[in-house]
Amino acid sequence: MKKKINITGILLIAAFIVFLVLAGRGMEPRDLLITTLRGFSVGSVTFLVAAGFSLIFGLLDVLNLAQGTLYMIGAYIGWTVFVRPDTFIDITPLILFLMAGFALGFLWDYLADKIKLDAKKKKILGWAFVLLSVVLAVLILPRYPIAMWELDNYSQSPISFSYMADQGIRIPVSPAETKGIPAMVALYGSLLLSAVLAFGLALIRYKENRQHSLHWKKWRVFGILIILGTLIMAFNTPLTDWLMNMNTNWLFIIAAVIAVLSGIGLGALMETTMIQPLYSRPVYQLMLTLGLGTIGMQLVKAIWGMPEFVIPKPEMFRGSGAGCPATTIKDVFTNHCSTILILGGRVRVYDEIVLPIVGVVILVLVWLLLKKTRIGMIIRAGVQDSNMVEALGINVRRVFTLVFALGAGLAALGGVLSAPSYGLSVSMGEKFLLNALIALAIGGLTSYPGAALGSLMVGLIQQFMIKYGQIGIPIPFTDIVFKPTPAIIPASTMLLMVIVLLILPNGLLGRQD
Amino acid sequence: MNKNKSFLSRNKGILIFFAVMLVLPFIIGLFEGSNPVAVWNNQGTFSKHLEGIGIEIFILAIFALSYDLLFGVTGLMSFGHTMFFAVAAYTTGIALKTFGLPLWQVLLIIVGTSLVQAFLFSVVLPRVRGVTFTMVTLGMASMFHIVVMSSDMIKLTGADVGLQGVPKPAYIDPTIERLRFYAIALLILVLVYIFYKRFIDSPTGRVCVSIRENESRAKMLGYNTTAFKIVVMLIASFTASIAGVLHTLYQPIVSPTIADLGYTVTGLLIVLIGGIATQSGAIVGAFVIKLLDLALRGIMKDSAPLVTGVVYVIFVLFVPYGIVGSLKLGGLKIKQGWQMLLERFGLKKAMPKGE
Repeated sequence: MKKKINITGILLIAAFIVFLVLAGRGMEPRDLLITTLRGFSVGSVTFLVAAGFSLIFGLLDVLNLAQGTLYMIGAYIGWTVFVRPDTFIDITPLILFLMAGFALGFLWDYLADKIKLDAKKKKILGWAFVLLSVVLAVLILPRYPIAMWELDNYSQSPISFSYMADQGIRIPVSPAETKGIPAMVALYGSLLLSAVLAFGLALIRYKENRQHSLHWKKWRVFGILIILGTLIMAFNTPLTDWLMNMNTNWLFIIAAVIAVLSGIGLGALMETTMIQPLYSRPVYQLMLTLGLGTIGMQLVKAIWGMPEFVIPKPEMFRGSGAGCPATTIKDVFTNHCSTILILGGRVRVYDEIVLPIVGVVILVLVWLLLKKTRIGMIIRAGVQDSNMVEALGINVRRVFTLVFALGAGLAALGGVLSAPSYGLSVSMGEKFLLNALIALAIGGLTSYPGAALGSLMVGLIQQFMIKYGQIGIPIPFTDIVFKPTPAIIPASTMLLMVIVLLILPNGLLGRQD
Repeated sequence: MNKNKSFLSRNKGILIFFAVMLVLPFIIGLFEGSNPVAVWNNQGTFSKHLEGIGIEIFILAIFALSYDLLFGVTGLMSFGHTMFFAVAAYTTGIALKTFGLPLWQVLLIIVGTSLVQAFLFSVVLPRVRGVTFTMVTLGMASMFHIVVMSSDMIKLTGADVGLQGVPKPAYIDPTIERLRFYAIALLILVLVYIFYKRFIDSPTGRVCVSIRENESRAKMLGYNTTAFKIVVMLIASFTASIAGVLHTLYQPIVSPTIADLGYTVTGLLIVLIGGIATQSGAIVGAFVIKLLDLALRGIMKDSAPLVTGVVYVIFVLFVPYGIVGSLKLGGLKIKQGWQMLLERFGLKKAMPKGE
């Protein structure tokens, strides 16, 4: 099938380029360069949020409005791993053990099958177990030792930790105190809690005529989780010390990986437990993701507090001593300069060079995943017609979960990567969600390249408007110099979106109905 | 289906509601110890406080009713609905404060602005559908929010602090004549409700429902669906504008949060909790949301929105028809069960099968 060339779309893009060229004429070359690079930087972060959004919407027809919150949670988890590794090490075994109970799902199904009760009684028993697990949670979870920051105590608040870490100093932290019961008991208690909860849920959802087996291979995940959790718990102190004294470059990479993993986990959890029951009611999915986004935001506010802070930049990008700002790329690597001189202007290495590169790398990687792998083929086919794919005997539901998790992971990656330059705040999720929505609307909701193009346009326009806020736009034939105030900047992208959608309801590269 | 009934019996519920709400301040006043005359003269403190809450609930309910008409009845998922509300609120405030116009002229202006906005949305309507419509409306409302928040117009709008010190006409000033304001807000709510009920029962309303259910089928039957959507948009815009005027007249500060997406979400929340496409659901939902919010703020201070969010998600997942919708469904079941019971004891003839 030959693709029809979208003349209106090309005209719009041409008009946009002409606008940018015209816009650039009043500027010095170095301003132009820096503004463009900043545009790329914002664009690439927007893209990371928007890419997952577009994949999810394309395949599942779910407008995931919680994407912004996932982005935010990624950033905050990255911050925790980077600035407070001890908290991270404390909490990991607990999470692993809570997961372990659910990793035994096959066993609970088997047991639910073996219990000789009728369906109604099984359900009642199931609810009793859920209730029991709630009681256990109230008893055990508050007694689990975690060393954490304190929101009310300024010297122990996230801002102080962030600030000191930025100076290269770590505030000494005391290890978590045990509260009444030994830590190991609390840990295995949490395993009991999750097992009881999982068994209760298995009883509630019990259906007859299913195949059950207790093959040894099914126990592997459970075993790995338990062993890993116990080991981390046993070697808590050395692990914390190791992370604390680690080179911050590596620590940042670890933080990014953990953030992405938790994003993927949260995405998978959301999809399987809440989105899946609502596939028959699309409007409710929209409302659900909106609600989940709000809940996530409030949780972040409750745990990390309202004030803004940043993840300190890793060592690689924070040097400012001899030989800085760097003049060649080699200098950047030898002196770890935070800035580089290009055309006489100082360009921040991490914000304006690394972020766009990461954006392009992710763009290519996901594109390769979509085009070259079997799973990518299924995803693309699913975007076309998911019923047909299901009819061909492919488990589309599993692919749905995978794509949702992937999208959430990409958003979390965007969050943790943008945190050193754009900072962490409770409103960051909303801001980039709106950016991503605009980018997608411009590029076409279901089109992956469209997401990239739209994000780029949004980033460029915002940065150019900010620049013009400083230097002003001379309006032709008059003496008036129009200076857009910072508040107007989002309005410019909104305006672009409305115009594009009115001319092309499906966006620039969207699927034509 | 209600054609044979008289006006009174058709609107029994809402009229009872009207009467009860009208008497309620006096009864509360009795509990407080101030006699009805004192309440009439706006002297009871607690009853006055309660009237205030009541007014806020009525405004929310009017707003939610208009949102429900768009989203619940016609199926237009607009995320920019708060724009109607906020534009009216700000226009009223600016007209009263900066230009010092009398209230009846302001009301005429409001009619004009609501028409203009509805037409603005109507330009968009035929072009975009589904999610794209949601996003275009979101974009338009956000632009208004940004304009309100920007410091360029700080003299008019007060930017992020909000519009303060709007002079209110003495005969309707909520600080002096609160009972009167309360009664007027209640009356407007009841009138809007009755009008909406009538509208949705009318042939035009039926077409709107069919647009929600299956637009292409409605089109195929020969209805110009865009025209119907525009009509609904006009009505919803005008109703939301009335709510906006009341909001400005009641509140001491018109805060820019009313132009935020969050306010549309509040409307959505009310409709969802009350019951989608049931007009009484909007009123029930407004009561629940406002009272829940007040109670939670008293108990847990800042984390109240968290609980509201959890309640919202629980409703989406487990109570999709909302309170009123579920009650209606449950009521049907109870009725059926009663019938079965009667049949079993031979008190009533069994229904012939096939009916």
